Amino acid sequence: MGHGKDKEPGFEKKFGIKAEHLCFSYPIGNGNGIINGSGKEKQVLQDIHFHVADKESVGLIGANGVGKSTLLKLLVGLANGYGGVLRVGGLDVEKKNLAAIRKSTGYVFQDSDSQLFLSTVYEDVAFGPRNYGYSGEEVERRVAEALKQVHMEELRDRQIYRMSGGQKKLASLATILSMEPQLMLLDEPSAALDPRNRRNLIHILNEIAVTKVIASHDLDFILDTCERTLLLFDGKIVRDGKTEEILGDRKLLEESGLELPLGLKGQNNNQKKENGIGSKGDFGAGKGGTHYRGGSGKVF
Amino acid sequence: MHMADALVAPVVAGTMYVCSGAAMGCSIRKVRLESDPKKIPVMGVMGAFVFAAQMINFTVPGTGSSGHLCGGMLLSAVLGPEAGFLTMIGVLLVQCLMFADGGLLALGCNIWNMAFYGCFIGAMVIWKQMMKKGISKRKIMAASVLGCMVTLQLGAFSVTLETLASGITELPFGAFVAVMQPIHLAIGLVEGLITAAVLVFIHEARPELLWGCQTAGCGFRNGGTGKNGWFTYKGTVAALLAAAAVMGGLLSLAASSKPDGLEWSMEQVARTSELEAEGDAYGIAERIQEATAVLPDYAWKDSESAAGTAFSGIVGGAAVILLCVGCCFLFRFFRHRTAKNG
Amino acid sequence: MDKLRRAVRRIHVVDDGKNPENIKNINPVHPLARLLVTIGYILTVVSFGKYDLWGLAGMILYLLVTGIWEEISVRDMPGRLFPVLLLAGMAGIANPFLDRAVLWRIGGFAVTGGMVSLLTLLLKAGFCVTASCFLIMETGMEGICYSLRRLHVPKELVTVLLLIYRYLMVLLKEAERMMQAYRLRAPGQKGIHGKAWGAFAGQLLLRSIDRAETVYESMLLRGYHGEFAGQNIRWGKGASFCYLFLWAAAFAGLRMFPVFQMAGNLLRGIP
Repeated sequence: MGHGKDKEPGFEKKFGIKAEHLCFSYPIGNGNGIINGSGKEKQVLQDIHFHVADKESVGLIGANGVGKSTLLKLLVGLANGYGGVLRVGGLDVEKKNLAAIRKSTGYVFQDSDSQLFLSTVYEDVAFGPRNYGYSGEEVERRVAEALKQVHMEELRDRQIYRMSGGQKKLASLATILSMEPQLMLLDEPSAALDPRNRRNLIHILNEIAVTKVIASHDLDFILDTCERTLLLFDGKIVRDGKTEEILGDRKLLEESGLELPLGLKGQNNNQKKENGIGSKGDFGAGKGGTHYRGGSGKVF
Repeated sequence: MHMADALVAPVVAGTMYVCSGAAMGCSIRKVRLESDPKKIPVMGVMGAFVFAAQMINFTVPGTGSSGHLCGGMLLSAVLGPEAGFLTMIGVLLVQCLMFADGGLLALGCNIWNMAFYGCFIGAMVIWKQMMKKGISKRKIMAASVLGCMVTLQLGAFSVTLETLASGITELPFGAFVAVMQPIHLAIGLVEGLITAAVLVFIHEARPELLWGCQTAGCGFRNGGTGKNGWFTYKGTVAALLAAAAVMGGLLSLAASSKPDGLEWSMEQVARTSELEAEGDAYGIAERIQEATAVLPDYAWKDSESAAGTAFSGIVGGAAVILLCVGCCFLFRFFRHRTAKNG
Repeated sequence: MDKLRRAVRRIHVVDDGKNPENIKNINPVHPLARLLVTIGYILTVVSFGKYDLWGLAGMILYLLVTGIWEEISVRDMPGRLFPVLLLAGMAGIANPFLDRAVLWRIGGFAVTGGMVSLLTLLLKAGFCVTASCFLIMETGMEGICYSLRRLHVPKELVTVLLLIYRYLMVLLKEAERMMQAYRLRAPGQKGIHGKAWGAFAGQLLLRSIDRAETVYESMLLRGYHGEFAGQNIRWGKGASFCYLFLWAAAFAGLRMFPVFQMAGNLLRGIP
């Protein structure tokens, strides 16, 4: 998966992440959308300290609004003005390195509709390679390869708005894969996926051997994809260790606003099923509700 | 208010294309000067928003009817007039292609009637002047309503002028204006109120999104938006006057000489080609041009032969259409067969 | 809400207008050629005089040939044509009353100039709309954008156009969902009540802006630097030029000779 074109030393061999004493805060201006906090700034991340080795898969877990997405955005320079040390692939995350970092990094946004901004799958998957100036054949090859990795070859010319949520998620993954990244950042990849699509996504992710950071509060998903996990709470990393250990620690998780993953509850298989459906309830219920309404409309 | 292709003569359409194109050129220049790469995606998504929002029915209390919001004013109030204008062009183009609102030929007219007035008169002149010394809820209300009403009045008047200059309708000017203006006064009021409601909401929720509000304390500073000299207030007014003069001149020229100049010139061409054809000595060609000699234009007075040409037209039309359709279907049949075999 | 739903359906129809099997192999005509032919067609149609009914009627041939040849679905056409015909009808409704010169008599019925001019106006309107619909169905929005770029329309505008097209569906569906949610809680209301005007559309606007932000970030992370890199549409050069010239010649012929009448005269044996 190497580019072979990157000049930076160590860039190719090692694509890890190093964060030391990392701090980040939002400025609170006139109605900037952030309400909490009395001072001028809201501290989002405090003294974050972690390393990610090359080709390692790391889960980033924590309750809603704990700063997972912010941390991911910091890694690709989408949020400016952090304190401390942050290095990606041996390069400091700062303006002059951003182009190099972004070229080798793929970021899958939570909302696929925002990620896929062109009208067909092909156009969108080809967007990245084209922007980096690859030749027509190379673009073609990369698109074919990326679509093959997510098993979507036959949907190549499909209009994006006609695809289901699961297909869109896989397509957004393909838009990243076509850039042949060495680091993949995924923000809530399993949100709004049905169990089957979710399993499919886990399978695909496990096949891709690059450095991955997956932010999610779907703990079972993390359990299936990452060997190591960082637990974020209140802007700090409260635990860094093996996924099974962290996710098996009921007390720790509950203190951090999370719950024991269903996959580790073991004996409670019934509850697993129930909760499994319930947690994806938003999606399913919304759809079912629509149908039901449509039906009742006809009756009356 | 979308004009259809059939309602504009080519000369009028061309004139309006030139005017709208000039405004577009200036706007592009301005947007490039700002060189804010984020602006383009925001423009795109906002364009889609205006589209969607215009499909929402807002009930007008007490009347039972519904209104829509005014895209030009809203876009300009968020993006600034130049970017708003470009976005409106995009919206109108998509409307024309995907929804058959307006047409490719009339696009120049539609851009002028709806986008130009909304963005440059409504926002550049009215909104900006009123917000000069700070922004407030009441001012937003007033500016939106006034802006929309003025915009629609100007737009409706332009529609009238363009239609008359195209020589499409037999209606006298006065009657046309008397119908168009009052209707659009009412529509403008409703659109203004809806637009105002949306803008007031934005002002309360995220005031930094409004045009001219990005700097602390709101309002347009001297060093603010008008700095580049292209769109200062005086400059805008002067440009508007000049544009009005050019437009008026061209339109009246087009209207006075011939209802539509292109048609006239085409007819000239058609007649000369006939004359040339008459010199030919081929048997069939002779027959054809004898037939052309019974052009409707020549035979109008003589109702007998005119009815004859009508009959010929119907019979010939049916025959030609049948032939064409038959050939096409035949071609399609073979194409499908080869596709299947291959 | 009906309007929203109709808009969504219409986009679907445009996108499926063409038989997808034919897109790749057999249609090598460059979108720019199609755009130019369509513009030429509209110009020719509009240039016909207001009494020149038979000449104008000949222009239907283009639509018939294109429609059948390209296998364009016309199931949505009536819905598209109706509003335009209504508008044209309104503009020309006064013609039959104001222009009473008798052009010809069929039996005892006198056809006046006003009637003919109203009819030509309606025909023109219908032809033009159909031609633009065919254009978008043949080329798709990407094709149009690509040809606009070839015509040196500024890249900013073309990019905005592509984004509008992409997010149209997303926001229409979002608006529809909001409408649905609103209706379920406000039974019996036809539209959005005055009190909720600002909040309803404002919410949608704020969400759109937030989305635009993410879209921008997503573009940035994939190497965007101000312009969408060129799309490689494959087409046949020869076929495009042939298409362009053949139709140009056909339009010129149809404009100069009343083909229908000539054919009729030939058939009837009138010299």
